[in-house]
Amino acid sequence: MKALNLAGVGVLLVAAGLWEVVVQAQLGDLQFLPAPSEIASAARQAVADGELLGRTIHTLVVTLLGWGMASVAGLGLGLALGLSDRAYRYSMTSFEVTRAIPPITFVPAALLIFGFSLKMELVLVVFGGVWPVLVNTIGGVHAVRPELHDVGEMLRLNKLAKVRKVVLPAALPAVVVGLRLALSLCLVLAIVAEMVGNPEGIGNGLIAARQALQPALMFVYVLAAGLLGVALNALFRGAVRLLFPSGSANEERVW
Amino acid sequence: MTAEAGVQSQRSRPVGRTHRSGVVTGLAPLALLLVVWEVVGSPDSPFYPAPSSWWPALFTRGQDEDIIPAILDTSRTFGLGLSVATLVGVGVGIGVGVSVRADRAFGPMFEFARAVPPAALVPVATLLLGFDETMKIVVVVMAAVWPIMLNTRAGIRAIDPIRLDMARSLRMSPSRTVGRVLLPSVTPAVLLGVRVATPVALVITLLVEYLTGVNGLGALVGDAQRTFQPARVYALIVIAGLISLAVNSLIRSIEQRIRRLHLGG
Amino acid sequence: MSFECRTLSAEVGSRDGARSVLHDVSLDVAKGEFVSIMGRSGVGKTTLLRVLAGLLKPTPDSTVRFEGRDVVGPPEGLSLVFQDYSSALLPWRTVAANVELPLEQNLPKTERRQRVAATLEMVGLADRANDRPPQLSGGMQQRVQLARALASRPVALLMDEPFGALDALTKSDLEDELLRLVGGTAMTVVFVTHDIDEAVYLSDRVVVLGGEPADVVADIAVECPRPREQIRTRESAHFLAARSRVHEVIFGTR
Repeated sequence: MKALNLAGVGVLLVAAGLWEVVVQAQLGDLQFLPAPSEIASAARQAVADGELLGRTIHTLVVTLLGWGMASVAGLGLGLALGLSDRAYRYSMTSFEVTRAIPPITFVPAALLIFGFSLKMELVLVVFGGVWPVLVNTIGGVHAVRPELHDVGEMLRLNKLAKVRKVVLPAALPAVVVGLRLALSLCLVLAIVAEMVGNPEGIGNGLIAARQALQPALMFVYVLAAGLLGVALNALFRGAVRLLFPSGSANEERVW
Repeated sequence: MTAEAGVQSQRSRPVGRTHRSGVVTGLAPLALLLVVWEVVGSPDSPFYPAPSSWWPALFTRGQDEDIIPAILDTSRTFGLGLSVATLVGVGVGIGVGVSVRADRAFGPMFEFARAVPPAALVPVATLLLGFDETMKIVVVVMAAVWPIMLNTRAGIRAIDPIRLDMARSLRMSPSRTVGRVLLPSVTPAVLLGVRVATPVALVITLLVEYLTGVNGLGALVGDAQRTFQPARVYALIVIAGLISLAVNSLIRSIEQRIRRLHLGG
Repeated sequence: MSFECRTLSAEVGSRDGARSVLHDVSLDVAKGEFVSIMGRSGVGKTTLLRVLAGLLKPTPDSTVRFEGRDVVGPPEGLSLVFQDYSSALLPWRTVAANVELPLEQNLPKTERRQRVAATLEMVGLADRANDRPPQLSGGMQQRVQLARALASRPVALLMDEPFGALDALTKSDLEDELLRLVGGTAMTVVFVTHDIDEAVYLSDRVVVLGGEPADVVADIAVECPRPREQIRTRESAHFLAARSRVHEVIFGTR
């Protein structure tokens, strides 16, 4: 449906070309800046010795695992709090307060408690990823128009059926947004955790390359992180389109 | 943190049932948690020191002297970073908002740059720029610019062509059109972007400080964690959280004020 | 002659290419005349108005003149009033500042302030000078637009369905207000509307556009004497005659 964006591709190529020229001609004084050609050969090397793949898989697995758990927890809790006024009243401020504390600040606490381990990474990912899902699910349930609740009443649906047939589908777009935000967040948290706590994955690859003063390899990992993010996002959108082809779950594409 | 842009409709009002979220009663779980923690934890626990030990931990070994300067350092980076991000974001946002061709051409590059987690940029930044204020600000800008740019772009697109026709019909010069009509018209959208970017800028500032130890609250947290002072870590986290709350509400109220000026009475 | 058009053709661009909206239109508007432009939705009334306003360039073989000079961009002495007042006014400026907008490039401050005060007085909004447009009703906002249009003392006024978004009562009020404001002057008015009654009530002539691409299909004179009055005029024979003639042209035997 979308025509090939020649201009877009062109800009990317021109930018890469300029970068190459600037570094080769040593125009800037950024002595550690690698040229795209160097990054490419470093990438080839990293692929050849299995490093890149191994690390990427680790990050990917932890992200998806953590996201899965966070989604389940967030959805369940979100539905419960969204549907029950009382539970919401007695807990919302707490969530708002805790939500305001950025997940990153839990990194040192997580490190203290779990040390340098996979557990630390997973805990961080899950704990951070829960919030977008939770908040958006509650928001989605709350935003269900009162008329729809009335429809549920009129159809004499019992509570469970009403949730399943009326509330959930109506709250779906908001829930999908929450899941998508959580996915990005989980990836970021995984990488941060790998940079400071769990010596594996892309994050650790970055740090290792940094310590070995290999800027080209560093850029390889930066690009890997970016590509992983783009890929996960695209896969997510694709999955949503597949599962909900009627477009009821879709939100506006930014580009 | 990836700055998931959150380009929001300017007319977002909750549509469904109104829910009274009793502000005080809602604190119950948090209060409960703190109480339980206090009872169960002990000041010497390596992982869960009791909350009552947090505040005093700020003062051990005279480390309290570091706190105010650290807050100032963090504030400076945050403030400068957000300002530069705003300037760049508005400039680029207007550019791609006005020119559809530029938008399509630079789209893929921006989309990809946006996907790179700022945390991953930190090691690269320290290698290329060193361990100083400039490096911190650059990383913050790279994270915070996106919501501002995207919202500015959306704001430009949302300007009713009638308004531009009106400016032309008044024979306004291009500079006056930009200054008197275009910029004020996109200001609510820009502020929305700044509001979304504010927590991002703050978090990334703390993150960079934590990862690099250059200065600021984040660096203090890192120190405390590496020297095994958990109570101090928690105390500093609470301080960071409070600052975050304060800054966010400030930006929010500014944004609401401007929005009311434009849309409401 | 205020406006002269000869062999006017205009195209409107879209993603699929340009579409010819007006073809070979000839139209004259004399100084001081009040002319309404009517036609079915989408026929090209607004396009014609925009060409007259200098906002849209017609095809090269067209002739459009205002006050004897070719129209190349929005000419001096011409003011525009839009239907969408919330977009046409600047909500962050006060009413007075909005009215001042066209004067800011040309007049010194004291003179501007006087002119603004006088104009607001004319439209009866002097007491709302420091409010902002979103605080005013639709009718009042349209009066602000009118004030802004009149502040620059134009020789001609172009109006694009200015009362289309208002309720019927406010509409009649503003129709009379408009007649009162331009009545004593030699101001030319070109008024686009799809309300037949309104067109006949206000105008000296009703020009009907039709066809695709559009051309002038009828040019109907309205013989009602001035000053006009909502009840008397609308019951008069001249009014009814003109009205049914216009109706016939627009809806008539096809």
